[in-house]
Amino acid sequence: MKRIDGGLIDRSQPMNFRFDGRRYSGFAGDTLASALLANGVTLMGRSFKYHRPRGVMTAGSEEPNALVELRDGARREPNTRATMAELFDGLTATSQNRWPTLGFDALAVNDLFAPFLTAGFYYKTFMWPQAFWEKIYEPIIRRAAGLGSLSMLPDPDAYDRGYLHCDLLVIGSGAAGLAAALTAATAGAEVVLAEEDFRLGGRMLAETERLDGTPAHEWVAETEAALRGMPNVRILPRTTVFGAYDHGIFGAVERVGDHLERAAVRQRIWRITARRSILAAGAIERPIAFAGNDRPGVMLAGAVRTYLNRYAVAPEGRVAVFTSSDDGHRTALDLIATGVPVLAVIDPREDAPRFGDYTVMAGATVTGTIGRKALKAIEVTAADGSADWLECRTLAVSGGWNPTLHLSAHHRGKPAWDDTIHAFVPGGELPPGMSVAGGAAGKGGLASALADGADKAKQALKALGIRAKRVDLPGAEDAPAALSPVWHIPGKGRAWVDFQNDVTVKDIALAQRENMVSVEHLKRWTTLGMATDQGKTANVTALAVMAELTGKTIPETGTTTYRPPFSPVSLGALAGGDPGKHFRPTRLTPTHHWAEARGAVFVEAGQWLRAQYFPQPGETHWRESVDREAKAVRAGVGLCDVTTLGKIDVQGPDAGAFLDRVYSNGMASLAVGRVRYGLMLREDGIAYDDGTCARLAEDHYVVTTTTANAGLVYRNMEFARQGLFPDLDVQIVSSTDAWAQIAVAGPKSRDLLTRIVDDADLSNEAFSFMACAAVTVANGLRARLFRISFSGELAYEIAVPARYGAALMARLMELGADLGVTPYGTEALGVLRIEKGHAAGSELNGQTTAAMLGLGRMVSTKKDSIGAVLSRREALAADTRRLVGLSPIDPEARVVPGAHLFAETAERRIDTSEGWITSACHSPHLGHSIGLGFLADGAARMGEIVVADNPVEGGQIRVKVVSPHFIDPEGGRQRD
Amino acid sequence: MTDLTPTTAFGVSAPRDERHGALTLSERTDIALATLALRAGTEPPTALPEPGEATDAAVWLAPGQWMLMAPGEAETDFAARVAATAPGCSVTEQTDGWVIVDIDGPAAAIETLRERLVNLPPSALAPGRGTRTVLHHVGIIAIRPAPDRLTIMAMRSYAGSLWHALATAADRTT
Repeated sequence: MKRIDGGLIDRSQPMNFRFDGRRYSGFAGDTLASALLANGVTLMGRSFKYHRPRGVMTAGSEEPNALVELRDGARREPNTRATMAELFDGLTATSQNRWPTLGFDALAVNDLFAPFLTAGFYYKTFMWPQAFWEKIYEPIIRRAAGLGSLSMLPDPDAYDRGYLHCDLLVIGSGAAGLAAALTAATAGAEVVLAEEDFRLGGRMLAETERLDGTPAHEWVAETEAALRGMPNVRILPRTTVFGAYDHGIFGAVERVGDHLERAAVRQRIWRITARRSILAAGAIERPIAFAGNDRPGVMLAGAVRTYLNRYAVAPEGRVAVFTSSDDGHRTALDLIATGVPVLAVIDPREDAPRFGDYTVMAGATVTGTIGRKALKAIEVTAADGSADWLECRTLAVSGGWNPTLHLSAHHRGKPAWDDTIHAFVPGGELPPGMSVAGGAAGKGGLASALADGADKAKQALKALGIRAKRVDLPGAEDAPAALSPVWHIPGKGRAWVDFQNDVTVKDIALAQRENMVSVEHLKRWTTLGMATDQGKTANVTALAVMAELTGKTIPETGTTTYRPPFSPVSLGALAGGDPGKHFRPTRLTPTHHWAEARGAVFVEAGQWLRAQYFPQPGETHWRESVDREAKAVRAGVGLCDVTTLGKIDVQGPDAGAFLDRVYSNGMASLAVGRVRYGLMLREDGIAYDDGTCARLAEDHYVVTTTTANAGLVYRNMEFARQGLFPDLDVQIVSSTDAWAQIAVAGPKSRDLLTRIVDDADLSNEAFSFMACAAVTVANGLRARLFRISFSGELAYEIAVPARYGAALMARLMELGADLGVTPYGTEALGVLRIEKGHAAGSELNGQTTAAMLGLGRMVSTKKDSIGAVLSRREALAADTRRLVGLSPIDPEARVVPGAHLFAETAERRIDTSEGWITSACHSPHLGHSIGLGFLADGAARMGEIVVADNPVEGGQIRVKVVSPHFIDPEGGRQRD
Repeated sequence: MTDLTPTTAFGVSAPRDERHGALTLSERTDIALATLALRAGTEPPTALPEPGEATDAAVWLAPGQWMLMAPGEAETDFAARVAATAPGCSVTEQTDGWVIVDIDGPAAAIETLRERLVNLPPSALAPGRGTRTVLHHVGIIAIRPAPDRLTIMAMRSYAGSLWHALATAADRTT
């Protein structure tokens, strides 16, 4: 192949690039494939299984052969179609699936073993031993029969996403797509026009057809300019619509920076919501299966025209055309027009026409080829059976065109067979709002496509309620097609159907003999239609071959399932812009920066980051820090940011009645200025969240949830308010982030708070256990004070507007220095609550009831509440497991959560398990390990010794069943 | 007047203000917020926006519920003042519940930003409109006070993640 004059490339912008280390040059407007061809490079890849030399076959996204690794280093992108890679200055590409070089590939030895590497080869050969499959067979197969290789480095490029909403999405900008977009846009509809190519125009760029006497690409340019001038039109070139999803939503990937050496954004995923859509994706030419049809130099006839007319790349040496329709003859005419001599048009039709000054071999077929790395000669068998070898460097093949209907079938609509064009056309139920126009609907002639695009747009406008306006479309003619389909030429040699997966007619025949006749079985048995091209050039031919073998018609044989994506989408694009730290959002507490400055170690709690503990100089193990913090709380006073607990503001005349139904225990009876511990059940009676509920006024409560369930509880309460109890006059809103809330816990907490609360009387008489009040702190700042305790000590929680949270924490630290005030994290918080026997997430794990938690009396029988009735059902009520404390007999032994509990004498099996350990910690107060757990009949087994067995990690210890309240079981400390 | 020193949602004393691409991102710490919800049989104390609409002073959140905004009053007990003027309504303090970011710049750049951030048709964020939606997995309130301004509010604890998302998208506008 060589560069000739003309074409739609920009010769004022030369571009240098490398392929397999060698330097070449091309022009702006080239693809890697066209530029390589222009430089005389026809060998571009090696086949998947046999490592046969392959050249480019197509000029579009359907390319099965010319797969390369684009760019290098961390940016290396394997399996890039050279036909889709827009040339840029500095582009680097490498061939793949070859060793050591593309010209000499040692693994081409596979080709000699082709008789063994038949359909189902892997399934038949690597059957045993089964254990070998994952570790030995599969890695070897993958190495030998692979595509490109990954860089194994993080992708350094940025990806982006975006959302578009429009009246009409037009997919494809060929004749039908442009006519549709112009018609809809002129009428005022919001139009998005997506084009896979970097240039609008579709086949109009590749053909020499004229519109009103001028080259079609000139009309394309005029129309593009007109559309770009309209504010209601969005043109997205380099954008592949890869999937049709529910409710008129389409996925599309825009290759924003793939054609630049460096770009701020590499690719962008668009989520397009379209009220109507027109699929105008054109058609894909199909090859004919004949012996040796995979050699570099055998190309699709339409692709030869694309390279010739659009990219100004012409074949060198002798060219032949093999076609079973009039359409292929156009290639001969275009070649002759540019001065390329045509050896012959080989046309299997007995009555093959002749449209120009070239030789037509009517009734003849191509039955063989030679040439290892490039085509050298073809064998032509004439109508009378005589065969002749003709020297030939390029063979243009056309077996007809298959409409690119993939997106129309993404909702499982089954394509219908069209006997006039001998191809599948969109059929069955299309995605809602979609219509198909032009070549994609089997109306690929230029005049037909223009008219059909305009018609479908008018229909869409009508459905949208927009009045169509007159649009003048240029005059055109349909080129003759007159296809008489020839699917494969019988013969001895291997005739390729799926070039990418090395599937031949023989493989299909073998699959048929092995009863893999269903197309879905055929696909899996032979790998036909798999991998990056998903059989775009192969599938219909394969169906035709299978139909012939089984004696069925093609429509009876059916198609495989069309699924997104239409063509490969990079994982980087799908993952979006933030694969690292910002992959999901993070929530920070008001004292986060304060804690960070003090060297806190943080732990994730859902999306929150919470201080886990605050290491001090000299502390080398986390437990030293945690023990110190826990002891400081029990001995003096500690501070912990508890802002993360959900706060739900509940107001309205019926707030109490509403909360009575949401909590299992009563809240309407709660006095103003008091706080009550509350339990919530799921509808099925299982306990799911607990927390405190404070009554600030007659018609105003604040509900506190656990950190993990804040969103869930709010959602459930909103559902209850709107859906279950719409008769109640109650309003709820989240105010979690509005208030910074700090737990002030320990015997000296009152002393500390007295120093900051304005005019404080925090005596037991004035502000007893479970009291709450609106107060002011630090000279007039509004605050809320709650006397509640998670640690079992005298304790409070104080809330101020969040912007003052860090300052409040710092002030409390300052004022409490002489009291030994100590900040503590979630780890110490956990130790304190285990010592006190308070349930948390490990106990409220979605499997436990109020009774199991020892809170059975909190499910009020005096009123109804969500989950109350089902909590009394037999299966739940009969559960005798109860929350108990567990103390090891050997004080050195470590209690491990997750261990199961067994009677000392029992054989240890899952059916003899009597419960499990939910939480455990080292108790600095007791000086040994302790645990909480659920034990069958636990309340009645105090003092008994059971075995905690941990078969997962190994180890078992003897533990004594004790009260879960290791600290102050009478509760005097928190009350006094 | 309290002698405690407030910090912003980013943990520092001054509101965050940065230029990214064609846009300026400015944290607004001066705006007081409160939600107002109607109780049965009550009328709004004043004219409040219809669904999908927003004014300088309020944005519709849900049936019978609005977020009220008062620039310059963040240091006052705005909720108490609203409650006093709206008898029969449920009023909740929200001032520090939200981080507020004004995005200013050419209308075209703002449109681009909207397109990259939220899955809404352009009309939903035309000038004078506002709505609750989602951005980078964060629930937000988006308001378009003017062609050259977009205001995004997210729960205060998300401030860092929100800023990252806004700044990254804004950097890509020109």
